[in-house]
Amino acid sequence: MTASSNRVSQAGLIWRALVLPAALIIIWAVLDAFSLLNSNILVSPTKVLVTAYQGFADGSIPGATAATLLRALTGWTIGASVGLVVGVLIGLSGIARGLFDPSISSLRQIALFAWIPLFSAWFGNGEIMKVTLISLGAFFPMALGAQAGCQNVPAPFREVGRALELSRFATLTKIILPAAVPAILTGLELSLNIAWLGTFGAEYLIGTGYINGMGDGLGAYLAAAREYARMDQVLLGVLFLALIGVALDRLVIGLSRRLIPWRTA
Amino acid sequence: MADSLTLSPPKKLDAGSVKIADVSKTFRVEGRTVHALDSVSLSIEAGEFISIVGPSGCGKSTLLRFLAGLDGPDSGRIIVDGEAIDRPSLRRGIVFQDHRLLPWFSVEKNIGLSLHSVSGSEVEKRERVQYLIDLVGLTGFEKALPHELSGGMSQRAAIARGLAPRPPLLLLDEPLGALDSLTRSHLQDELLAIWEREKCTVVMVTHDVEEAIYLSDRVVVMEPRPGRISQIFNIRNARPRYRDDPEFVTTRREITELLGSQKKKNH
Repeated sequence: MTASSNRVSQAGLIWRALVLPAALIIIWAVLDAFSLLNSNILVSPTKVLVTAYQGFADGSIPGATAATLLRALTGWTIGASVGLVVGVLIGLSGIARGLFDPSISSLRQIALFAWIPLFSAWFGNGEIMKVTLISLGAFFPMALGAQAGCQNVPAPFREVGRALELSRFATLTKIILPAAVPAILTGLELSLNIAWLGTFGAEYLIGTGYINGMGDGLGAYLAAAREYARMDQVLLGVLFLALIGVALDRLVIGLSRRLIPWRTA
Repeated sequence: MADSLTLSPPKKLDAGSVKIADVSKTFRVEGRTVHALDSVSLSIEAGEFISIVGPSGCGKSTLLRFLAGLDGPDSGRIIVDGEAIDRPSLRRGIVFQDHRLLPWFSVEKNIGLSLHSVSGSEVEKRERVQYLIDLVGLTGFEKALPHELSGGMSQRAAIARGLAPRPPLLLLDEPLGALDSLTRSHLQDELLAIWEREKCTVVMVTHDVEEAIYLSDRVVVMEPRPGRISQIFNIRNARPRYRDDPEFVTTRREITELLGSQKKKNH
């Protein structure tokens, strides 16, 4: 009963979420129908559709999307993995906390894109530099989440471990890490979000303003569209960034709800 | 057979005896010193069922945590089977009021966790876990997660977890305190049956005077400020006991009046 009514309300929520975008598109189309749009500022919806069709036909849109996605996921995987290990270490050991925590807290205050001058001097403007930047962005929320999760295991659960004479290793794998899973997953979601935003920023800011190929990603696609004043491509690029960003976010949140059923019940 | 699984030193028939000698403990609470326990002494024989009742602040839960080895006294000694307690041990099983099942493990994994540090084959451990699940009446719920269980079922699983390593001494901290009265009286009977079968010593902290008389060989009444034992009642009625039995009713009135007079004295 409850499950089905939940499902109905969830479908209702999806429809409700679509009301605003649909209204905007209708207003946009109406304005265009009465020739009220200045094409230097906002092109017509049909023009965007045609550009989308062309972009898919010549492969530039799927290619750029795939490149951005691959870059984001690579950076996320590296950054979140290192963040998980470092966060768990800091969360578990007072010595590690004393050594790393102050430095990490300070470095976290530096805006991600402020690293660009430094990183481009060290790594050039190629793939290594972009992935390093994305990884760094993904690192912080994951490290923070894992640290908080391991540090804030409820004392009653720790006592169960003591009462059952669990070894340090068993306490870690059977009590501390499972208890930290919700915080770790939150860190994972946040770090994916940062990785996705960071990927676009890296592509847009580090790109040259010219598309050197599909491998440059949606960020470079948008930078080039701006350079050539292609409003249709700008709108298309923004739309794709939003759609894929939302899809990634939902996917990870959906997966984490499955992993911790005791949290959602 | 599940019975073959035992902790390394073979269980003696007289295991589970407790000697609490002159135990004191003070806490600092908001700059003030609170005497949680003031030279408490108590001897418990192997196989006895002891209940500790008293108002909150009388130190009964503190005493139980000492017996478990989760905390220690400032002075005095607690000796179980000739050994002083300095840390928790599987030879002293504890069941908490808030069942404390790990929410990420199923019922059988939660119970099995208390056998993790016990030597024995996986097959033996699985048999022991299944035996306990059947004993506490959770058959069919082996794979259920704690959030899928009712309060009574969670508490049964917690009792099974406490019993799994065959502790000679079982410590119960208001194990039935959070349950409705029907579930409660049903689990009291199950607790008695388990105690008779497992032949362990039981020390139970409870708020419920009737529960204490119904279950125990002796009821220890404690009083607060400072926490100490005020009187010990021997319950000689044969089991099964009846709550409307004249002797039962008299004892209940005596204990309730004792607790009431403490209240007056302390206010």
